[in-house]
Amino acid sequence: MSANWIAGAAVRVDADDLAQVQPALAGVSRQAWRSFALMVGTVLLIGLVLPWFSNAYWIKTLTSALALSVAAAGVAVLYGQLGLVSLCQYALLGAGGWAALRVSHGLAWPFELCVLVGGVTSCAIGMLAGLPALRMKGLYLALVTMMMAGGFQVVINVFGFPDGGAGWLGKVQGSERLLMVRPAVAPSDAAYLRYVAVWLAAVLALIELHRRTRAGRSWALIRRGDAAAIAAGVNILRYQTWAFGLAGFCAGVGGALLAGAVGQLDGRAFAASESVMMFALTVVGGVTHWAGALIAGLLLRAVPALLTDFGVNGYLAMIFFGAALLHALITAPSGVAGQLVGALAALRARLNRARHSAP
Amino acid sequence: MDELLPFLISGLGVGAVYAMSGVGLVVLYRSSGVLNFAFGALGAIGAYVAWSLLEHDWPQALAWAAAVLTSVLLSLAYGRWLAPKLAPRDPTIRSIGTLGFALVVLGFTEWTWGEQPRRLVLPTDSLAFEFALAGGDVRLTYTRALGLLLALLMMAAVALLLSRTRVGLKMRALANDRDLSALLGIRVLQVDTVAWLLSGAFAGVCGLLLANIVRLQATLLTFLVIPAFAAAIVGRLRSLPATVAGGIVIGVLEAMAIKMPGFAPFRTATPFLIALAMILMARGNERPA
Repeated sequence: MSANWIAGAAVRVDADDLAQVQPALAGVSRQAWRSFALMVGTVLLIGLVLPWFSNAYWIKTLTSALALSVAAAGVAVLYGQLGLVSLCQYALLGAGGWAALRVSHGLAWPFELCVLVGGVTSCAIGMLAGLPALRMKGLYLALVTMMMAGGFQVVINVFGFPDGGAGWLGKVQGSERLLMVRPAVAPSDAAYLRYVAVWLAAVLALIELHRRTRAGRSWALIRRGDAAAIAAGVNILRYQTWAFGLAGFCAGVGGALLAGAVGQLDGRAFAASESVMMFALTVVGGVTHWAGALIAGLLLRAVPALLTDFGVNGYLAMIFFGAALLHALITAPSGVAGQLVGALAALRARLNRARHSAP
Repeated sequence: MDELLPFLISGLGVGAVYAMSGVGLVVLYRSSGVLNFAFGALGAIGAYVAWSLLEHDWPQALAWAAAVLTSVLLSLAYGRWLAPKLAPRDPTIRSIGTLGFALVVLGFTEWTWGEQPRRLVLPTDSLAFEFALAGGDVRLTYTRALGLLLALLMMAAVALLLSRTRVGLKMRALANDRDLSALLGIRVLQVDTVAWLLSGAFAGVCGLLLANIVRLQATLLTFLVIPAFAAAIVGRLRSLPATVAGGIVIGVLEAMAIKMPGFAPFRTATPFLIALAMILMARGNERPA
């Protein structure tokens, strides 16, 4: 290895060592692209396979779970990359859903555009929510976002979500509520589940690209402290706000996809406690690995449905979630996803050893 | 003004409970650096215990004592057993840890008692101060008056404890610098225990009062901690008098907002609006470089 090359400039650099650096770097880069492809491939494969194994009820449940995974990925960006606690992700999801429903009913834009409108709206709100974080300690940010989620709960309870009516709020009076028009390529429930999986893969890829480029490096430095970031020439305002925007975008896309899944959203379902649950379960799922967001979505929607299937009281799941959050905070900072990845790596190492020792 | 007075008086009751919750939160935060998200859940389970005991015809005083005791014991259990495991981490993580505890307690409460809302009836409900006013008669039930009185008394007691006693001095020392206090020979765990105990007692009393004034439903009571945070934020997580004043003002404004045209449906957002305004205006929350 090129240990002396790393150790310092005083050591004369060997030509041989330098020659080894290039292939090593290329290997790392190849490995990174392989894991990137693995991520996108796995999510798409999950989306492709799931509808074959699920009945109508489970297709609906898994669709919401994947939509929430998109939003959970945003929580993971803020907490996993920057160490910031945002307790308003579900409210942002609601805001994105509202915007998407509004343009869908009001302007009859194609579904993809509606999703993007939802994403961009929540992105803008998320950036605004993140501004106070620039001059506040972590705990205050958690409180600010929590108060925002509380305020959103009240406002959305009064306004409700657009459902095809007239006026700025788009609320139907008297007649039947209209459903959001599904995308042209995915009219059926099964196709829509696959459609959501494609969006999830796209959003996860977007986040992963951020993590591997200048943004990710800047986030890592900001996490170390403002002094470190400034010393390294990082523009804290830009990259931290960017992270909040990206997290908001995830929430908005998730909200629009959720609105498309059910056709409408219910204002009563956006309590501040939902944002708290989303944060908690994202931490349980794991914030440093993309699979964490997937697991968080399943914990939020699929696990309660599974328990109902088995006739188990849903509140037992809450006890388990609380214990899992404590466990994740105290001993398993990378969450379920981290533990799964660790277990897989251990298994692979054991298999390799077995293969090598075999005659 | 006369027509606002009934709302002002009914707001005082809720405001007193916000104030008391705020004080319970601030006391713990000041000495151990933990913002207790489980505060509401602890109060809720205490109130359910009291409800069950009252159903079994226990005497009122015993049932109340059992409620507060439940909250105190659970608070102590977390404070002594789980909180130390997170002690070296920063305040955000330590506070989020209590969120996990809140979910456990809430899940247990809902699982045990079911989710249909009940109301905890206290004997003080039937008695009331009556005010005859131009705008009509106003009743202030003894429960609400008691809540207000308790809030002021407990705040005063805690303020005395912090400023005059040995343990209060240690609590303030811990608030300033935990590691330094430990080096100076302060028994950190002992002081922590006092703080968790106090916080649990506040949670128990608040739970009882809210179960009476609002209703007895675990999820609702657990997340009523969010407006209580608003009171603590007004006190900047530090000042007890400001917290009490903040809590009472929030409660009163929330009640009086019914009369404000156009704002009435949004009146439950009052605590959040006040808290947000306070956070954005406050100086000195700047994060360390």
